[in-house]
Amino acid sequence: MAPVVRVRDLQVGYGAAPVCAPVSFTLGEGRAVALVGANGSGKSTVLKTVLGLLEPVAGRVEVLGRPVDERQVWFRRAVSSVLDDDAYFPALTVAEHLYLTARGHGVLDAQDEVATLLDEFGLADHARATPVSLSSGQRRRLLLAAGLVRPRSLLVLDEPEQRLDQRMRARLADRLRAEREAGGAVLIATHDPDLVAAVCTQAVHVADDASSVLSPAEAADRIARVAL
Amino acid sequence: MTDVDAPAGDPHAGEPHDAEPYGTDPYDVDEDPLVGDFDLGEVPSARTVRRYTAQAARARAGASVGSLLTDVYTAATSVAISVLIVLGVVQQLGDSLPPAPPVRDAGGGLSLPVLVAVLLLAATGVLLSTAGRLGPVGVEGAQAAWWLPLPVDRRGLLRPAAARVPVVAALTGALVVIVLEAGLLATGAAALVRAGLLGAAVAAVVVLAAAVAQSLGVPRRRIALVGDALLVTAPLLAVAVLLGGRAPATLPGPSWPVVAGAAVLAAVLAVVVDRRLGDLPGRALREGGSVATQAVGAVVSLDSRELGRALTGGAAATSRRWVSRLRTARGPATALVTADLVVLRRSLRHVVQLVVAAGLPVLATVVPQLASPVGVLLAVLLGGWMASSASAEGARWAEMAPVLDRLLPLDDRTVRRLRMVVPGLVMLGWSLVALTAVGVWAGAPQHWLVLAVASAPVWAAAAVRAAYRPAPRWDKPLIATPAGALPSGVLQVIARGPDLVAFCLLPLWIAIGLTDVVTVMVTAQLALSVVAVLIASSTAEKGWMERMLEQQDQGKGATP
Repeated sequence: MAPVVRVRDLQVGYGAAPVCAPVSFTLGEGRAVALVGANGSGKSTVLKTVLGLLEPVAGRVEVLGRPVDERQVWFRRAVSSVLDDDAYFPALTVAEHLYLTARGHGVLDAQDEVATLLDEFGLADHARATPVSLSSGQRRRLLLAAGLVRPRSLLVLDEPEQRLDQRMRARLADRLRAEREAGGAVLIATHDPDLVAAVCTQAVHVADDASSVLSPAEAADRIARVAL
Repeated sequence: MTDVDAPAGDPHAGEPHDAEPYGTDPYDVDEDPLVGDFDLGEVPSARTVRRYTAQAARARAGASVGSLLTDVYTAATSVAISVLIVLGVVQQLGDSLPPAPPVRDAGGGLSLPVLVAVLLLAATGVLLSTAGRLGPVGVEGAQAAWWLPLPVDRRGLLRPAAARVPVVAALTGALVVIVLEAGLLATGAAALVRAGLLGAAVAAVVVLAAAVAQSLGVPRRRIALVGDALLVTAPLLAVAVLLGGRAPATLPGPSWPVVAGAAVLAAVLAVVVDRRLGDLPGRALREGGSVATQAVGAVVSLDSRELGRALTGGAAATSRRWVSRLRTARGPATALVTADLVVLRRSLRHVVQLVVAAGLPVLATVVPQLASPVGVLLAVLLGGWMASSASAEGARWAEMAPVLDRLLPLDDRTVRRLRMVVPGLVMLGWSLVALTAVGVWAGAPQHWLVLAVASAPVWAAAAVRAAYRPAPRWDKPLIATPAGALPSGVLQVIARGPDLVAFCLLPLWIAIGLTDVVTVMVTAQLALSVVAVLIASSTAEKGWMERMLEQQDQGKGATP
């Protein structure tokens, strides 16, 4: 069987100009890869290309053994992503945003799932609030809950630790480790050494001169030392 | 290249990809995803998703049926009154136009029908360019974030968004054609209906063609470029017709078969677009939606600068073939002027706008029915404002990002004056072209050229003053007028820039009215140009009257 994600000599960027050195990695079931690197190194651009939101400048990306195409229904069923989209329906409450996502994916017991995630992400008291009335950290938690309230084979997260307090970061790390142990594949761009150490099985250092492969411990150490 | 994530314990981990343990067989996409212990049922239809969102919005809108009906009634009445006012004004203009000369000079001149055809060609270019910049199909932020990732039929989700722009374009197209036909050509009722329907159908065809191109992966920038090319073709075509001396006196009106043909074409394109909605990539939809949201926000808040930024940014090149070395930048002042020049040179939309703006006064002087002081004055006013707005793109960007003006060791007033250099040079060129045409029409072109040089700084000053105007203020009291309540804070802000055109170009307006230039007008124009530059150099956000009143209030407050 093909890996969940296969990236070969991928060059990413906006237009024809690549923003970083070519990246290659494979990500199988029950594994987690962290993309680490300095601000502006191209981590988020790699993620967007894996999600089909950007065309590769060069190279190839496959998800579940097929070329990436976010227009296809199978792709949207299989891939859950949490990017930095801070946009919400002004009339929908926090819970309704989660119901929309869960029911939109055909989840039958949406009520239980939504209740569990609201509780887990500390949003139970804000279930009836509209997202515009939440703090930026609470809105981040809502996005993370939305990424987990639906079925998926691949979970893609762009700096999920942003705007979370220490307790919530630890809880997120537990959740992502459980995700991996349940057979899911996780791809994260992050600056958090603890998250890399707790969740990831490998890391890729994204840079403009050359990309390199690191163990989670090496990646965590490098993030801590050079403040990537 | 290394395999970074082979399964744990795999002896091949860390080896090149050729040795990776994974196979190449794709997953069965019909199987349930790997993670999430969910009971899964049928995925809802796109219509259900749309309704779910809309129902929640309706439930929380807090508006009763009565207030909704009142809103609809108010909107419909406002639109109807606006249309009737415009129709009345244009019809009055049409009535006041002198009849076409029975025998036209051998040298040519453009007939009114040809001018209307040229204007409609230009309008088609504007529509295509705008459609390209807007997407034309797009989804706004929340829909992009919460709808697009759902595994529901994307076509069904996008259908209302895809229908909106062609419908608006069709209504606008019909209105523009009816206004031009009824106002300038005084067409009869039956022909007016046919022309209006044809205008609606052609406008819809243009937007739908842009949507088909979007679904085929044509970049928005390219669609916008085609529209810009069409726009710039219009004045060039008029000049070619004029020089050829074969301008027809009349043009045939649209027949029913032509109208029907255009309607059928629009219907076919609508079906094609509908079938291809699912092929639109998420990125294009997000970008289109983002530009449309920014543009609508700008229109609602009456901020023309923001509208320009939305439309320009919507089709900006992401990279350049060459990097400008900015050789003319030899110090802070020249660096600023050079930067303004580069910004203008790289904005094709504004270069096209300059060409079209230069053509307007020329056209007004060669159409016998328009070649009157009023017609020429209106053309110079409109063309001049279009050109000066296009020339101050650098200042508009600097207003949005004030840090740009603070990067260089120059004081605020000097920066404002330097920002007038590029608009000044551009408007000098425009004035020479425009007032040469006016001079040929009025006689003694050399006198008009002197007036052109004297008046150019006012246009530049007005453009920079408009570029740096503060955001519209909605907290000021409303002023009751016969046309309804007007927000004084908004009018005050919007008038910054046009006020200089109105008052500091008085000698020019008088000269056009009298079709003659005398020395005192040139002298007065020079003096007013200096005044305009001084006013535009001011960095005060409030007008002198407002500042004086505030000082008075403060003085009263300080008095025991």
